[in-house]
Amino acid sequence: MFKPTGQITTLRQLVGRLEATGPGGPQTYFSLSLPEIHCHLPGPGLPCGALHEVMAAAHGDTPASFGFSLALMSCALEARGGPAFLVLSRQAADFGKPYGHGLRQLGFDVGRLLLVETRSGKDALWAMEEILRAGSGVAAVAGMIETDIDLTMSRRLSLSASSGNTPLVLLRPSGATGTSAAITRWRVAAAPAARDHFDSFAGWRWQVALERCRQGRAGQWMLEWDHAAHRFRLAEIVAHRAVSPRPGQPPAVNRAIGNDRSAAPLRSGVAR
Amino acid sequence: MSPGSGGTRLVALNAAAWRSGLAPGDLLSNARSKILDLQSCDADPAADEAALRQLALWCLRYTPIVAPWDAASGADGLFLDITGCAHLFGGETRLLADLAARLRRFGLQPRLAVADTAGAAWAAARHLHREPDTSIIPPDGQDRVLRELPLAALRLDTEALDTLCRLGFRRIGELMHQPRAPLVARFGTSLIERLDQALGRVAEPLTPLQPPPCYRAQATFAEAIMTQAHVIEAAVRLMRPLMRDLERDSAGIRVLRLLLFRVDGEVLPLEIGLAAPTRDAAHIARLLAMRLERLPAGLEADFGFEAAALHVMAAERIVPRQSSLDTADAAGDQEYLAALIDRLQHRLGPGSGQRLYPRQSHIPERAVVARRADEDVVPDWQIETPAGSRPPLMLASPEETADIMATVPEGPPRRFRWRGVLHEVAHAEGPERIAPEWWHPGPRESERDYYVVEDTAGRRFWLYRAGHYGAVQGAPRWYVHGVFP
Repeated sequence: MFKPTGQITTLRQLVGRLEATGPGGPQTYFSLSLPEIHCHLPGPGLPCGALHEVMAAAHGDTPASFGFSLALMSCALEARGGPAFLVLSRQAADFGKPYGHGLRQLGFDVGRLLLVETRSGKDALWAMEEILRAGSGVAAVAGMIETDIDLTMSRRLSLSASSGNTPLVLLRPSGATGTSAAITRWRVAAAPAARDHFDSFAGWRWQVALERCRQGRAGQWMLEWDHAAHRFRLAEIVAHRAVSPRPGQPPAVNRAIGNDRSAAPLRSGVAR
Repeated sequence: MSPGSGGTRLVALNAAAWRSGLAPGDLLSNARSKILDLQSCDADPAADEAALRQLALWCLRYTPIVAPWDAASGADGLFLDITGCAHLFGGETRLLADLAARLRRFGLQPRLAVADTAGAAWAAARHLHREPDTSIIPPDGQDRVLRELPLAALRLDTEALDTLCRLGFRRIGELMHQPRAPLVARFGTSLIERLDQALGRVAEPLTPLQPPPCYRAQATFAEAIMTQAHVIEAAVRLMRPLMRDLERDSAGIRVLRLLLFRVDGEVLPLEIGLAAPTRDAAHIARLLAMRLERLPAGLEADFGFEAAALHVMAAERIVPRQSSLDTADAAGDQEYLAALIDRLQHRLGPGSGQRLYPRQSHIPERAVVARRADEDVVPDWQIETPAGSRPPLMLASPEETADIMATVPEGPPRRFRWRGVLHEVAHAEGPERIAPEWWHPGPRESERDYYVVEDTAGRRFWLYRAGHYGAVQGAPRWYVHGVFP
């Protein structure tokens, strides 16, 4: 495998220092509280004044990518004060609109949330820029648009984010291919939920791939969102397998899923 | 003309028709026999009213209190309350001259009068024929002028007028010295009230076109302005004196109206509302620019605007901020947040910025309500959470599923089809039974049994069955109401 030489390391550090001081002052970070991911990132967490992209692996995975974005937002809200904005274009609300009690059960602080609904993706992009440029009093901004954006637009968003030193989580549609100025890009797919000893749902899980990370490394994890502690954790597969199916349940389906799914994340966890 | 008793009758006449001896109320057939080449068209009261309204809006440049005449007054003129405004135009005479000249330029033939009371001014404008058609009744002079005018100058209904005529009364002066009690007994209080109003013995309330503003500023331009940039610039200049007054009263603007007077007499009113009281001229200028951009037909300047007025329609006290303690930061944040919400609302339409508030209800779609973010109440979510799982994304209305297969009648489905895709259920949790709120009016809904189901791909849905087997005709229907992450 490629090993960075001393010169490259120095250059990387130089670039890192140059980029660390954006127009909005020194770069700050919000933590995901998961060392396994942190070691892939350049700083002590995700940079605040930056654009982070989240994409669904397929259109049907949009709820999963929405959940992951909310989890990222929760991490940012934990670290920063002020309100959180969620900008939604009406066409992007294919799976419905955010629901207060549901957000709260995910551990999201609904009292700090401001929803902005726009008629078109264009208006949504305008709103995101306006909010980001308003100053550093906003904790985080998330946007959900149905149209893809080009490099220029993503650069604008990225600059706006760094000018206000506010993190922007942008949910791009699943088929989006365009290049972008985002610092990180995550691809999220749904995964079977964790179950407790009584075989009921214990935590939502997503198959998350960090596809792109400036000055960092790509990676892939099976993540579980702990909505009480506001942190991610790696899915524990072994505990799940010990559960024997309930007598009333159709055993065939249950076991097949359990085995099939448990193998994949283990592989990805080790491959790092 | 419009249909009246006995045939089509005349409603309004131009100057030539007046000179030929016609009068409103004449039968059209009689008028035709007198004047062979009479031109007539149907009366359009709605258009008349709209035109009068437009003219009233235009008259706001003279005074903030403009009241179009009601039906009892003929609905063909305006009252302007010029108390305290005349000196801005160099006195009453010059104000009238200016008003008359401008109205003539629109092709109107104005008859103007100034008096202490609305009634006396009305009477003088309608019945005091002088050249030119403007008359100023000196203070406390209405008594002497009204004395000579016919009774019709009192704005009475035709029935009362006819009766008075039959009794031999011709002029207002003859009524003034009559004992009042018999007049009240015969005509009710309306006759005496009209007389007293005209003479200034009782007050006559006007119904203004718009509520008078709390603060106003106005400017006339030497040269008509046309571009949006100039309009904004003019508004910013107008704001300076306003801001001084507001600062003195430690108040801020909540609702602001900008009136642009076009050269051809059209008036463009623009109103902006603010989430929090403000005195920030730059912020208001930005909102105005957004408002101008949102005009459906753009800024229709045509020949330009010759004057502009800023009216503060609602002002609120700004609580002075303490700048040294910790709370200052929070207050500053609130301020910038209000400004941000203003900008979003103005560009994206009112109500586009929302907060979610919890509500006491078991029905999921009623348990959360979205309200405009500029309401100051911060939602309190420190409440008991629902016992069952709730999805973070909920569909606007539940969508029915097809191809349902359930192993046991009262159990979760094994598979279902939603939006054309067949989902095999791998795991399900439930049911959570939610009964309808019987105390709400409207058709009875059925009970819902909610399940959280996960399909073989790991996608999670919030499904419910409406009603149970046996309770409804045929098999109960299943709906998708939300999705889990």
